[in-house]
Amino acid sequence: MTTLRTPDPPVAPPASATRVRRRDRPVGRRRKSQPEAFAFLTPWLLGAVALTVGPMVVSLYLSFTDYDLFTSPKWVGFGNFAHMFGGDDRYLQSVKVTLIYVLVSVPLKLAVSLLVAMLLNTRRSANGFYRAAFYAPSLLGASVAAALVWRALFMGGGPVNELLAFFGWHTPSWVDDPQFSLASIVLLGVWQFGAPMVIFLAGLKQIPAELHEAAAIDGAGAFRRFRHITLPMLSPVIFFNLVMEAIHAFQAFTPAFVIGGGRGGPADADLFYTLYLFEVGFQDFRMGYASAMAWVLLVVIAIVTAIVFRTAKLWVFYDDAEDKK
Amino acid sequence: MGRTTERRTRGRGVAALAVVVPLLLTGVAACGSDSGGGGGDVTITFVWWGSDGRANLTKKAVELFQRKNPKIKVQTSFSAYAAYWEKLATQTAGGKPPDVLNVDSRYLAEYGGRNVLADLNSGAGKAISLADVNPELAATGVYQGKRYAVPWAQNTPAMIYDAAAFMAAGADPAKGMTWDQFADAARKAGAAGTARGVTDFGILDTTLEIWLRQQGKQFYTPEGKLGFTGDDLRRYWELAGKFRDTKAASPADVTASYNTSPEQAPLGKKLTSSEFAYDNLLPAYQKANGKPLNVAPYPSGADGDTGQYRRPSMFLSVSARSQQQEAAAKLVDFLVNDPEVGKIVGTDRGLAPNLKVRAQLAATATGNDKTLYDYEAALEPKLGAAPPVPPKGAGAIQKLLQRTYEEVAFGRMSVDDAVNRFMTEAQKGLS
Repeated sequence: MTTLRTPDPPVAPPASATRVRRRDRPVGRRRKSQPEAFAFLTPWLLGAVALTVGPMVVSLYLSFTDYDLFTSPKWVGFGNFAHMFGGDDRYLQSVKVTLIYVLVSVPLKLAVSLLVAMLLNTRRSANGFYRAAFYAPSLLGASVAAALVWRALFMGGGPVNELLAFFGWHTPSWVDDPQFSLASIVLLGVWQFGAPMVIFLAGLKQIPAELHEAAAIDGAGAFRRFRHITLPMLSPVIFFNLVMEAIHAFQAFTPAFVIGGGRGGPADADLFYTLYLFEVGFQDFRMGYASAMAWVLLVVIAIVTAIVFRTAKLWVFYDDAEDKK
Repeated sequence: MGRTTERRTRGRGVAALAVVVPLLLTGVAACGSDSGGGGGDVTITFVWWGSDGRANLTKKAVELFQRKNPKIKVQTSFSAYAAYWEKLATQTAGGKPPDVLNVDSRYLAEYGGRNVLADLNSGAGKAISLADVNPELAATGVYQGKRYAVPWAQNTPAMIYDAAAFMAAGADPAKGMTWDQFADAARKAGAAGTARGVTDFGILDTTLEIWLRQQGKQFYTPEGKLGFTGDDLRRYWELAGKFRDTKAASPADVTASYNTSPEQAPLGKKLTSSEFAYDNLLPAYQKANGKPLNVAPYPSGADGDTGQYRRPSMFLSVSARSQQQEAAAKLVDFLVNDPEVGKIVGTDRGLAPNLKVRAQLAATATGNDKTLYDYEAALEPKLGAAPPVPPKGAGAIQKLLQRTYEEVAFGRMSVDDAVNRFMTEAQKGLS
C-alpha cells in the first residue's frame, strides 16, 4: 500500500506520515546543512521579507489609520473596522456577493471536476487528449483574456443570448443584468475545473481496483460503489481540493473586475470583496480602510480553513493505520 | 564538538550572506541609475490617458518637442481612463509620480488639494504662458487660489446623434429643441428601428449637471457640497423614467453596459441613436457606429437655455515632487501654445486652448474637425463659465450616481429610495 502514496503529492498529505519520516532523519546532518541552505535561500528570504512580510506589517499598521496615499496616515484605532460593520452598505454587499460565490461555485466546481475525472478514469485510447482538452481552460487561469471572452459570450446579442432565444428563452444581457451577472461569473469559475480534476484523476487511480471488484461481486451497484468506496477513498483529495478552491474563491478578482466592467457590475451585483477593496484603496484613496478590509479577509479565510480542517476528522479517511505496520 | 561545528557553519552562512547581499544591492542600484548624469541632459516622464490613436498623435508632438529641445528627453506612457488613475495613485503613493501628467477636473481637488501637484503660479510654472487662453477657461485650473493645472483643450458637453434616424422622426436636433420635443423625437426614432432613441441618461453625471444648470442650479457648490437637493434628483430621474417608459431610452441591461469609451457605449454599438457625451468624441463615436453622426446642443428648458459651458476637457499638471520643474514647465507650455502641436493633435482632446492657434486651425479644418469648430463657434456666445472645481470624492460620486440609478432602471428600487441612498452616500463621501 505504501506505493500508493509516492507518485502524487496531494494524496501524500497524510500529515502523520511525513512527521514520522522527519523524525527518522539523523538530527546532526540536518543541522549541518542549515546555514548553507539559508545562504542559498537569501534571495528568496530577502524577497519574502521585503515583498511579503514587510508590506504585511505596514498594511497591518495602515489598517488602524486613515491614509489617503499622499499625506501621512492618521491613527484612528479600530475606526475602520467599526465602519465596516456599521454604516458601510457596500461592504456588506461585497461580503454577500463573495459568500454566494464561494458557497455556490466551490461545491459546483468540485462536483463537475469529480464527474469529469471519473469519466476520464477509464482505459480509452483518446484519454490523453480529453484530459488535456478539459485541463486547457485552467491554464488560462485568472486571465483577463478568458474573462473578456466570457463577457463577449454572455453579453446582449452574444452567442449565449442567441442560443437561448432559439430555444424560446429570451434573456437580457447576462453580464449586464443584476439577476444573471453573478451567475455568469460562477459559470466561468466552474468552467476552469482543470486543476481539481487532474488531482481527482490522480486520486481515483490510487483506489485499488480489487475493492471495486470485491464490492461488485458482493452485488454493489455503481452508485453504492461510488458512495462507499470511491468517496471515502477519495476523501483526502476532496479535502485538499475543497481547501484550495475555497481559498481561491474568497480571493477571486479578475473575472469580477473584467466581467463587471471594473466597477462591481450592474447595481453592484458583482461587487466581490477583493474588487471593493481595490476600489476603496486605489480609486477612492482610502488605503487605511482597504488595509483593514484585507486583514479581515485574511482572518476570515484562516477561520474558514481552520473549520474545514476541524471537520476533516469526521469525514476524511486516511488508510494510514495499516500502513504503519 | 557539536557547538563548534555549528558556529563554524554559521560563520560560513554569514560569509555567504555577505557575498550575496551586496551583489543583489548593486544589481538593484544599477537598474535605478541610468537617467541621471550626462552633461546637462535631463529626462522627464509624461503620462496621459486615452486610446492608441491619441497616443500616436501625442507621441508625435513629444518628438517635435525633443527636436526643439535636444537637452530634454521625455519618457511617455499612457493607459485607459480608469486604469490611468489607479496607476497614478500607486506611483504617487510610492513617491515616484510622473513629472508631467494629464489631470481631469474630477480629480483636480483630489491631487491638487493634497499637494501632489505644483502651484504653477510660482517657481518654474511661471514660464507657462496663458496669455492667449480664454481667461474663463484658464481659471478652471485654479483650486483654492493655486494654479494646479492648465487646460490642455476645450470641449463642451453635447449630444451626439444619428442624423438620419432623427430626420426620419421629423426632428433636427442641431437647431436646438426642448426636452419635450426631444422625448417625442427619441420615442419616434426608437420605434422606427432596432436602436432606441437615446442612451438612458439617468446614469450620467454630466447630463445631470447640465440639466441642473438649465434651472440655475449647480452640481457642486464652490464650498464642495452638493448643489442640489434630493427633490431635484428625483425630478431628474423622473424625466429619465419618462424616456425609459416610452421606450425612447435604452433598456436597463444596455444602460448598465455603458462605460465611458465610445467604442463600447450603446451609441457606438448601434444600440441607440443618440447619446450625451462631449463634442470632441464625435470622431470616435463615428468610427464605432459607422453611420453619419452629428453633434447637437443639449435639449433645453422652456426658456431655451442649454446650460452648456466651456469645459476644460483635460488639464496638464506638473508634479510637486518633480526634480525637473523647469523642463516639465517647458513641455507644458509647448503643448499648450505651440501652433505645430495644435496641427498634430487636432481636435482629438477638444479645441486647442490657445485662441490664436485655434483660429488658425479653424480656418483650415475639414470633416469632423470642421463640424466641431463650427459647432463650438455657433455656441460660443451662449457658453457659460465652467462650474467650480469639483471637490475631493467627485470621481466616486459619478459611480454612485450610475449605481443607484441602475437600481431604479432594473426596477429593484423605487425612485424615492434610490434618491435617499444617493443623497446619504454622497454627503458621506464629500464630507
